[in-house]
Amino acid sequence: MPAGGVDAAAPVERGSTSRFDAAAVKDFLSKYGVLLTLIGMIVVFGLLSPHVFLSVRNLKSALAEMAPVAIVAFGLTAVLVMGDFDLSIVGMIGLGAAIVVSLMAKSGVPVILAIVISFLIAAGIGTVNGTVVAKFGASSFITTLAIGQVLTGINLKLTGGQVIFEGVPGGFDRIAQGTPILGIQNSVWIALGFFVVGYVMLEHTAIGRYMYAIGGNREAARLSGIQVTGIRIAGFVIVAVCSMAAAILLSSTAGAYSFTLGSTYFLPTYAAVFLGAAVLRPGSFSMLGTLIGAVFLEVVSNGLATQSAESSIVQIVQGGVLAIAVLLSTLEGRRG
Amino acid sequence: MTERGPFLSVSHLRKAYLETQAVDDVSFEVAGNAEQGEIIGLVGKNGAGKSTVIKMLAGVVTPDAGEIAIEGEPVAFRNPQHPKTLGLAFMHQELEQLPRMSVAENVILGSPVPRRFGVLIDWRRLHAISREITDLLNLDLDPKASVDGLSVAEKRLLMIGRALHMRAKLLVLDEPSASLTGREIEHLHEICGRIKSRGGSIIYVSHRLQEILDLTDRVIVMRDGRLVDEGPTSRFDQQTLVRAIIGAADQSLSADQKRLRSRGDVALDSPVVLETEGLTRGTAVRGVSLKLRRGEVLGIAGLVGAGRTELARLIFGADRRDSGTIKVNGEPVAPRSPREAIRDGIALLPEDRRNEGLVLDFGVRDNVTLAALSSFTSRLRLFPSRRRESRQTAKMIERLDIVAADQEMPVRYLSGGNQQKAVLGKWLTRGADAFIFDEPTAGIDVDAKAQIYDLARALAGEGKGILFISSEFAELTRACDRVVVMREGQLVGDLSGSEMTEENMVALCYGR
Repeated sequence: MPAGGVDAAAPVERGSTSRFDAAAVKDFLSKYGVLLTLIGMIVVFGLLSPHVFLSVRNLKSALAEMAPVAIVAFGLTAVLVMGDFDLSIVGMIGLGAAIVVSLMAKSGVPVILAIVISFLIAAGIGTVNGTVVAKFGASSFITTLAIGQVLTGINLKLTGGQVIFEGVPGGFDRIAQGTPILGIQNSVWIALGFFVVGYVMLEHTAIGRYMYAIGGNREAARLSGIQVTGIRIAGFVIVAVCSMAAAILLSSTAGAYSFTLGSTYFLPTYAAVFLGAAVLRPGSFSMLGTLIGAVFLEVVSNGLATQSAESSIVQIVQGGVLAIAVLLSTLEGRRG
Repeated sequence: MTERGPFLSVSHLRKAYLETQAVDDVSFEVAGNAEQGEIIGLVGKNGAGKSTVIKMLAGVVTPDAGEIAIEGEPVAFRNPQHPKTLGLAFMHQELEQLPRMSVAENVILGSPVPRRFGVLIDWRRLHAISREITDLLNLDLDPKASVDGLSVAEKRLLMIGRALHMRAKLLVLDEPSASLTGREIEHLHEICGRIKSRGGSIIYVSHRLQEILDLTDRVIVMRDGRLVDEGPTSRFDQQTLVRAIIGAADQSLSADQKRLRSRGDVALDSPVVLETEGLTRGTAVRGVSLKLRRGEVLGIAGLVGAGRTELARLIFGADRRDSGTIKVNGEPVAPRSPREAIRDGIALLPEDRRNEGLVLDFGVRDNVTLAALSSFTSRLRLFPSRRRESRQTAKMIERLDIVAADQEMPVRYLSGGNQQKAVLGKWLTRGADAFIFDEPTAGIDVDAKAQIYDLARALAGEGKGILFISSEFAELTRACDRVVVMREGQLVGDLSGSEMTEENMVALCYGR
């Protein structure tokens, strides 16, 4: 009898007994693997150098360093949810910093007005990205890559690649460096504000639902009467505005413009979003996931820094972590 | 080969998804190694477990327990490629096509590609193979044509062609006849007969019981994951088969009679809900003028490719029209997008529900409220209320009899019938004056079909108009008050009353 030795005659009794097997362990690991690794790293770095890594001072500086990365990552989450990419972020941050600082230092525009103008320009650039992609159907990948290059070119043309620090008003520096509230830097509070707005938008508004619907099935969303084109364009505007906010924080922290501001942001921002997709709802992007992803990456780079690791090591580890995160979330998506 | 054991034997197969026991202790055999193969009909309602059994045979789903043996050898399929190497071929409900690739490339998918000098693809041979297969299927398709331009029916036939080319010993066809028309089904049966006489066996899944009775040698009936009846086809007739499938007798009969009684003639002076005048798009739809009255279920019959789906999409604003006008309740409308059409009071239940009707990763709730989300928002029109959404969804689940573990389980895991009901729930929640149902019962079990006819009737009773597109002409005679026939993009007939017969529809479709 090729009955396979399985008690096929047993009454329907599934779940409780069969859950303690290898598949269940794998399931648990892929669901909580990122969180467990995060906790594990905090413990290890904490044990290795308790007075440095776990100090309040280090915690504060880590949060401040994380803030602009997280803001860009929140923006990216909005487009990735809809299945689009925006690779123009680095170009946008660089040009954004050039615009806001030039306006103040060279044209003497007041701080507030300079910021308003900068955000309007960013929204305009986001609209261009979005229109080319969503309205005319170009690939978001290559379009934003190309436009990012154009932005970098304009940046270089505008400033000649020279550092600008003379004439930056003190008021601008205070955006990021002003008196800390509850002992925590302003930029951290600003990032938190972006998170809350982004979280509420994606999880609790109709627009957020539409974004997930567009990402899930664009044609079904269109045939359900959702303004797919408009919402996709809005996604690119959100990324551009977030990149602009990061540019302002970075140049405010530095008290100056330099050509390389934000130039390393490509990997950590995408890594945060994709790590996030491996953390919570399997295989799906979310703001909370992105936040956890950003914390994760900061723990990696900060922890390694407290061990005086070279930046090359940090890069290798961050890149490796991203690859593993993508792998994890792919495995998630494949099940079921 | 002295002993002629079964080609395939399946014993005590089980599979559970979440809380549902999809397949529960199923065992059966398929003969093989004979001069003559056999055709086995596999029937059961949607969600009875047929597709899951097939997916386990195909190596797509791993059984929780039980054994599959090929020619006496137990096998554990490691991947979807594995069963194919052992002589099994599959045509799943979901189309597996290489988009943007040609007909020939899709035919050859899964088989060795003919080559020249060992490396270059021998396009001439490949195209000849493609021609041979499409001729066998009585399809006139250019091997170089892209599959994107094909209709659902043509794509499905092409997949059968792919299995034909592999010369499989056991061919598993999951709903091959869904949304095919009479003549195409005849061809399909002809091809099945040819495979059988060459020693190949077929497992044939269908909701069309007549073809099961006509075509198969043996029938296997599944219900709630279990194999509940099995025997030679000669033992069954339509009635006993329905009883075995549903499990309780005379349930559907009374529903049938109720339906017949409730169907009245729509008064000719009833106001027109939807009117089109000279609607045209390329050669697909040419000058279509029709009037849909309040309280009317208007059927659109036609062969696949006659332009019915294209017409539906034009009315719904999903495609651009070249010329013609549309009126809703006498007001001219010019929908340039589905969004505008919906606002004008038109709803479309698309033919391809998985790709066009549903967000498969969303639960029933999020799908049901998707087209009407703003009506669930409170002040600011910003935040939908989960509580109100859940209440509405519960109402739809109740009204449409949707079987789902809960409101949040991704609809990906629902059976075809329940998926279709989720799409219906979306449009009932949104509301419309004119509903277009495009092949609403394709691949759906008898029970769910009857529910959809009832629903169309109930909507008509509420004063809506329903355009009912179907390739199953028998159901048009049952569900509709009037039927128009499309051929080559044009309306060629308008049947009502005693003229509304299958014979007349077929005659008009073929232009006889």
